[in-house]
Amino acid sequence: MRIDANNPAVEFHDLTVSYDKKPVLWNIDMTLPKGALIGIVGPNGAGKSTLIKAAMGLLPPGSGYVRLFDQNLSEVRHKVSYVPQRESVDWDFPTSVMDVVLMGRYARLGLLSRPRKADKEMAMNCLRQVGMEPFIGRQISQLSGGQQQRVFLARALAQEADLYFMDEPFAGVDAATEAAILSIMQEMTTKGKTVVVVHHDLQSAAEFFDWMVLLNMRLVASGPIDRVFTNSLLQNTYGGKLTVLAEVGELVRKRQIPSRENY
Amino acid sequence: MGSFFDFFSFKNPGIVAVVVGSILLTSSSALVGTFTFLRKKALVGDAVAHAVLPGICLAFLLSGTKNPFFLIIGAFVTGWLSLYFIDKVTLASKIKEDTAIALTLSVFFGVGILMLTHIQHQGNASQAGLDSFLFGKAAAMVGSDLITFSIVAVILMATVGLFFKELKLIAFDMNYAKSLGLPVKTIDLLLTTLTVMAVVTGIQAVGVILMSAMLITPAAAARFWTHHVKTMCVIAALLGAFSGITGAYVSYVAPAMPTGPWIVMIISAIALLSFFFAPGKGILSKAISQRKLQHLIMDENLLKALFHLGEADHDPYKGRTGMEIIKRRHFPKKRLMASLTRLQREGFLTRQNGEWAFTEAGRIKGQRVVKLHRLWELYLSEYMKIAPDHVHEDAETIEHIITPEIEAKLEHILDYPEVDPHEEKIPY
Repeated sequence: MRIDANNPAVEFHDLTVSYDKKPVLWNIDMTLPKGALIGIVGPNGAGKSTLIKAAMGLLPPGSGYVRLFDQNLSEVRHKVSYVPQRESVDWDFPTSVMDVVLMGRYARLGLLSRPRKADKEMAMNCLRQVGMEPFIGRQISQLSGGQQQRVFLARALAQEADLYFMDEPFAGVDAATEAAILSIMQEMTTKGKTVVVVHHDLQSAAEFFDWMVLLNMRLVASGPIDRVFTNSLLQNTYGGKLTVLAEVGELVRKRQIPSRENY
Repeated sequence: MGSFFDFFSFKNPGIVAVVVGSILLTSSSALVGTFTFLRKKALVGDAVAHAVLPGICLAFLLSGTKNPFFLIIGAFVTGWLSLYFIDKVTLASKIKEDTAIALTLSVFFGVGILMLTHIQHQGNASQAGLDSFLFGKAAAMVGSDLITFSIVAVILMATVGLFFKELKLIAFDMNYAKSLGLPVKTIDLLLTTLTVMAVVTGIQAVGVILMSAMLITPAAAARFWTHHVKTMCVIAALLGAFSGITGAYVSYVAPAMPTGPWIVMIISAIALLSFFFAPGKGILSKAISQRKLQHLIMDENLLKALFHLGEADHDPYKGRTGMEIIKRRHFPKKRLMASLTRLQREGFLTRQNGEWAFTEAGRIKGQRVVKLHRLWELYLSEYMKIAPDHVHEDAETIEHIITPEIEAKLEHILDYPEVDPHEEKIPY
């Protein structure tokens, strides 16, 4: 089931993404509404992170394209922010909380210039918003998992974007952090920002999101939560691993066939 | 000693050249190496260092001179080629990066040695000293070399300074840097170029074989002393400079001695010292905090035993002998005595006629440990459904680490219980 958003923030058009020629996402075709809190849900290995990485241009599409605010990524990059998975970086890196949040200002600053006073104050504001102000000078290796996630969120907020892609922001955080992050996201969407979240916990997904995307190597459903969060669609997502799809994918990898024919 | 003053009074202009040259070379490569280290690309630096040898030999064969300008260009070409080679091998075959690095290193270095041997057997007089590129010879630097090397060193330092924030971001979180639209590939290329340049200039002082130590070791040592990339860069550069001067001095005093091994030994000694003595992260400071923890556990267990004795005969302040305490709970005698004296010194116990008794502060401290032990036992059995006969061992460790905040939470959720799972009274 696929419900189209009118006035979409994100449009996936027939997107196929492969790792080492093996397709992990097949023909994703959907639109996501502006100003909504959107959850991407599916089992392990469904390609949830792959989908937002492809949207951020971190993985090349095998075929198809993604358009953000009806433009190419390169034209609207300053309006889009990405929050990687917490585990994707080395938290032993010698830097402070403030320094990490300031990284969110780098795109605005451009090459060769240093953070100005205004950037530091902006970073401060974002840290205050996520409740991490007291930790400003703290070395990042001393943070708990929830605090690390808050710092990542503050860094994204410092970008002042309109569209946010977040990879598992609720993974491994404490209850207080979960509530704090959720309320910030809700505040963002009431201001008209669009927040797309990769999420693994079905139970909380029903409470958190306005719009839900069900994914399992292919698009199972995309639409408002009350239309999509149904037994049969969830069954389709979690129960129905399409074994033929996986087998064909493996075959494509073995033979190293490009996903679209080139002449 | 005379040579020491001769050297450090800089009377001889040749010495100035050697010293300034060594400092510039070692500190600039330490600076660039900091980012190689943070990117976890230490081995790549090693491969590049070895791979510049054929370039140097080739440049000499083609130009017939030891002009550092030509040699640097030659070194640059093969250094770069080796990186390209590593990338291609990793991408185009099933060979993993570590194998590709090892392959590249040995192939390029092998070719280099072959060419060097060929040159040495040619009978060309101007080749004398070319082999100092293997192990480095700081004292061989002359005024004209100095100009070339200074230019390169200044370029290195300035570039790192200019792109500092981008280099830092890419080392920390590459994907995020890409998502910001930063020219990650270009900056990556820049860092590799800087690494090659650092290696090429550093080999005069250190030599190709040990050059990678000059990139990585100062950074590794500096990492122990700071939590900030900027400070780390400064410390690494200073450590590099220090080892550079020392190496130059050795090279001056004992001209037959190659400089590289000396510089590397000095910087390695510094790294080793940091490893042992750095505050917080060093072995020594870790051992000290472990010992403190051991004392804390011993002391708290002792106070607990005394409290138990007081519970048994309803007289918490009664004096006890060491034997009485050991009968209640076994402690090694030596450690018991040490702990008793320590607690007396700290004011938790008093001693009269060979008997030890609680002070008020001691009784409160002992009571708290007993309370925490029993609260935790109750929590385990009520909330985690662990059988009462299995909770004691856990509580033995946890009682020492529960903070006052968690203590308050436990009291609150268990609602100030009267007794623990063994029907023992919980003291408040």
